Amino acid sequence: MIRCGSRLHRFSHTDSSFVRIVVAAPNPEKLKLVKDFGYPMPVFDVAPVPQSTRCFFGAADFQVSEVDLAATKWEPRKLYAHGSYVTTVTLAGSALISGGYDGQLIWWDTAKNQMIRSVEAHQKWIRKAVTSPDGRYVASVADDMVCRVWDAVSGKPVHELKGHAPQTPQHFGSMLYAVTYSADGKYLATGDKVGHIVIWDATTGKSVTTLEAPVMYTWDPKARLHSIGGIRSLAFSPDGKRLAVGGMGKVGNIDHLEGKARVELFDWQSGQTIAQQEHDGQKGLVNRLAFAPDGSWLAAAGGGTQGFFYFLNSDAKKILKDEKAPMHVHEFSLSPSGEEFVLVGHNRIAQYKLG
Amino acid sequence: MRAKSFCGSVDHAISRRGFLGATVAAGASAFADMTGLDQLGSSALASQMKKNQKRVILLWLAGGASQLETFDPKPGVQTGGPFRAIPTSVPGVHISELMPQMAKRMHKTCIIRGLNTKIGDHLNGAQLMLRGRRNEAGLKYPDIGAVVAREMARLESQVPDHVTFYTQTEGRYYALGDAGFFGARFAPMELTTENRPGNIRRRDGITALDHQQRADLRVLLSQQFAKGRSSSTLGSHNEAYERVRGIMASETLFDVTQEPQKVRDRYGPTQFAEQTLIARRLVEAGVPFVRIGRAWWDCHGQNFETHQEMVPELDHVMATLIDDLHERGLQDDVMVVTLSEFGRTPRINASLGRDHFASAWSMSMTGGGIKGGAVWGKTDPLGNTVSDQEVNAGTLFATLYAALGINPHKNYYVGSRPVPLVDEGIEEIDDLIA
Repeated sequence: MIRCGSRLHRFSHTDSSFVRIVVAAPNPEKLKLVKDFGYPMPVFDVAPVPQSTRCFFGAADFQVSEVDLAATKWEPRKLYAHGSYVTTVTLAGSALISGGYDGQLIWWDTAKNQMIRSVEAHQKWIRKAVTSPDGRYVASVADDMVCRVWDAVSGKPVHELKGHAPQTPQHFGSMLYAVTYSADGKYLATGDKVGHIVIWDATTGKSVTTLEAPVMYTWDPKARLHSIGGIRSLAFSPDGKRLAVGGMGKVGNIDHLEGKARVELFDWQSGQTIAQQEHDGQKGLVNRLAFAPDGSWLAAAGGGTQGFFYFLNSDAKKILKDEKAPMHVHEFSLSPSGEEFVLVGHNRIAQYKLG
Repeated sequence: MRAKSFCGSVDHAISRRGFLGATVAAGASAFADMTGLDQLGSSALASQMKKNQKRVILLWLAGGASQLETFDPKPGVQTGGPFRAIPTSVPGVHISELMPQMAKRMHKTCIIRGLNTKIGDHLNGAQLMLRGRRNEAGLKYPDIGAVVAREMARLESQVPDHVTFYTQTEGRYYALGDAGFFGARFAPMELTTENRPGNIRRRDGITALDHQQRADLRVLLSQQFAKGRSSSTLGSHNEAYERVRGIMASETLFDVTQEPQKVRDRYGPTQFAEQTLIARRLVEAGVPFVRIGRAWWDCHGQNFETHQEMVPELDHVMATLIDDLHERGLQDDVMVVTLSEFGRTPRINASLGRDHFASAWSMSMTGGGIKGGAVWGKTDPLGNTVSDQEVNAGTLFATLYAALGINPHKNYYVGSRPVPLVDEGIEEIDDLIA
């Protein structure tokens, strides 16, 4: 252990390739809402600009917008449009990549404020795109049930990862909601509607293993004859050994998002389940999960008719902090230090800080 | 109006389930394996029926399908949701991208986009949209199935007049088939647990001869009992037995395995698809009215996910049914209707859902006397109100009946009281009738 002033530092991850020094994450007990902004439409994703107070976000107005959260006046600026809801935004260097239900991935030069390219990336709705930790690749998932890996600079396809069934067991179209990179960039995880998870070797594009979280999917065969749920969020622990999976527990009345917020934690290499945590006080989908930089907690956010934002301990068995969010949360960004969150969701954007 | 033994009194209503149960208890079935009824589907007989009778298949989208995700898309506005609008075979008419197969067949279909039916709760909404008006205190109106059954049934028919499938449980109570003041003669055969009627097969321990002899004995006793008596109840009782014999004989019509596998594959593997295929078999054999309850569209949460799941199934099944009816030459005689108890709010709630909404919503009608390619009604840019050609439930039903050749202004009689088929002052929309 190394002490540095008042903050605890430690070696959090070692292997033959690199050593990373991580600052101990702040205590979730110190969570506080800093600012809360209204927006006329649901906001689905946010990408904060490093070392700045600006962020980009995508919303149900089909727009990618930019805003300075520190400005005295809340003035979002619309940058460019998709043909449908903009469900994902991610930065790769100075390029912003956005994706939407129109199936398009659009590269945007944030320095020159001009479009670089638009790619017909998927046949169906794009649910999420993430940039690899080294910034070289972008992985996108969509309801065509394919994860595609793109060169972040050229926009050329690198891998096409196929491991999710296009239909549910009941013969309806499935959906591929979630994708995430491990912190070292070696692995990708994808999760679909019926609770099937695939871990991929990010370099080769080969499937490494699969996991199942079937409780996340509710099929009602008798009363309503359709389904609800699905894996909505994934997060690797900073050491890459664990995978957290977010969604919702079994639902009785699938007219509503009334299942308990649910997180499952896997030791993914052994396939063992570490925790299956259902929140007795929060209903709805866990749309976003993120580990603290030092792995000491796991933040979860989402919602149903109301929003939630809570923190679990590192093995996802104990709730450390439980907060009612000002809206159903669709996504949040987490600063590298683990201190700042920007939550986006139903018609609101909220800034939180720890400490 | 066809002459039936119905006396017009609600007092004489008998429960179809009741008499079916009694019949099964008696072990009666001389017709449990009359596969010959399938021959009613032959082209010659179908051609004959075309001249005499129209039929209806109602796809009842229980719970309230969204007009914005089906027939009245509003892409790019605050209320529009994520789906795009696509062009159809009718120039200038767009529907949701979730319905590409129906888009190619829009010239065969009529859409009403201007429904304002005002009632936004499931029970009262369903009762209204199955009858075209609300029940009065002391007077229950027949639903559309009972009306079509009464008007279109053939006296000599050996098939049921009115069949409903509702095999999900949610919302079934709201949409029970109801013959109202027509009485049980026109109440539906309701299938709620499986696709084939239960309790109508002859029990294993009873031979066909046993059954016939029992039936003959019952007829003999009934005739003796009826001597010197004048009773509509007795007449109804005897008619009920005759109807049971026909219904029992029609069992094979409900057996989807009688269809070639390629036809089954064409409709698809889902329960809704199979029931729709059975509905086609039934109307082809002369059943005047079949309703398929496809629950449950009540998407207060995750409206877009649910419609993405369910609308493609609806699109495929509708399109397949329409094609199938055309290929069999039945397009002018069988009307396919999609209808719900209401639509869904333009406003999108915090769960990305849409709630109940009866002020500006949509339905469709295809074939059976309806003008293809017609679009009636217009909603405002956000979909909150009807801006032109508003249609209420009464007008819709008057139009349906008129297209089927039923005079919507005719009177029935409850006792000596004349009761019009649709409320006074309601007129059909002539522009939608072929």
